[in-house]
Amino acid sequence: MYLATGFEVIKENLPIILPILVVELILLITALTHVLRHHTYRFGNKIMWVLIVVFLQIIGPVIYFAIGRGDE
Amino acid sequence: MRAYIAFTKKEWVESIRTYRLFILLAVFFVLGIMNPLTAKLTPTLLANFAPEGMVVEIPTPTALDSWIQFHKNVPQMGLFVLVIMFSGAMTGEYNKGTFVNMVTKGLKRRTIIFAKFTMSVLLWTMSLLLCFGLSSYYTAYYWNLDGFTQILQSVICVWLFGILLLSMLLFFGAVVRNGYACMMFTGGMVVIFFLLNMLPSLQKYNPVYLVGSCQSLITGELVMSDFTASIIISIVFVVLSIVGSVLCFDRKKL
Repeated sequence: MYLATGFEVIKENLPIILPILVVELILLITALTHVLRHHTYRFGNKIMWVLIVVFLQIIGPVIYFAIGRGDE
Repeated sequence: MRAYIAFTKKEWVESIRTYRLFILLAVFFVLGIMNPLTAKLTPTLLANFAPEGMVVEIPTPTALDSWIQFHKNVPQMGLFVLVIMFSGAMTGEYNKGTFVNMVTKGLKRRTIIFAKFTMSVLLWTMSLLLCFGLSSYYTAYYWNLDGFTQILQSVICVWLFGILLLSMLLFFGAVVRNGYACMMFTGGMVVIFFLLNMLPSLQKYNPVYLVGSCQSLITGELVMSDFTASIIISIVFVVLSIVGSVLCFDRKKL
């Protein structure tokens, strides 16, 4: 059986991987700007939320907007 | 009727400003693409991670694997995100006191319930359509869309279960004042459904049957008429939840 290397797999499936990356990036940037521009959170502090948003793919921004975002 | 339309519009604006719409669409977008992709890449990944010299027999992925992923990811990750995003829909407004003004100006309390329910169902439908559309597109891109009617029926089952969750969220939102409590009670109901699912004689009547067994529609093991009982029970639950929320909300101190 032919074993594709990681790079070849990505190249082959680029039309399907690219949209996922783009959406993840949009989520990340939206959440990150929101974290940095607002100073009140329901709990936790700025550093904690930046780490959560940046390192937890997809789930991080969801958690932030759902339970971390403070009221203006 | 005018009040209902106005309040629904307000809900729409709210879901944009609280990023609810954005999050739901983004998550279901990613889920929709992930389903066929996971099905397609799993054999390659397994082959690459297998130890040197080991012969792994891996069947070639088919369209069915993609839909199995769909019915694994959407009920777990998708419905989980849906519940988290809507758990504060009622309770957030108690805390901010935004209901008081509108109710004292003559907005009927039941209008609030109906408008909230309409908007949550609308957002859920949009998200699921997006996810289903992308999954179908990429499944057709890699394989084919044979048996599309059965696939559509299985997605309708998932959709109905989502509506059931939303109506329960609304009901518990009308009963308790805290968003987390609302989420916990809804989660508790789902756990009860899953526990009841252990009794084989009740399985066919259980709403969980809709998400648990609907992939058997695609494989052809079950047909739509096998789901009639659980569909009827689910609809009864939805109606009861809505009526219950109207009754509880009418007596609630805002």
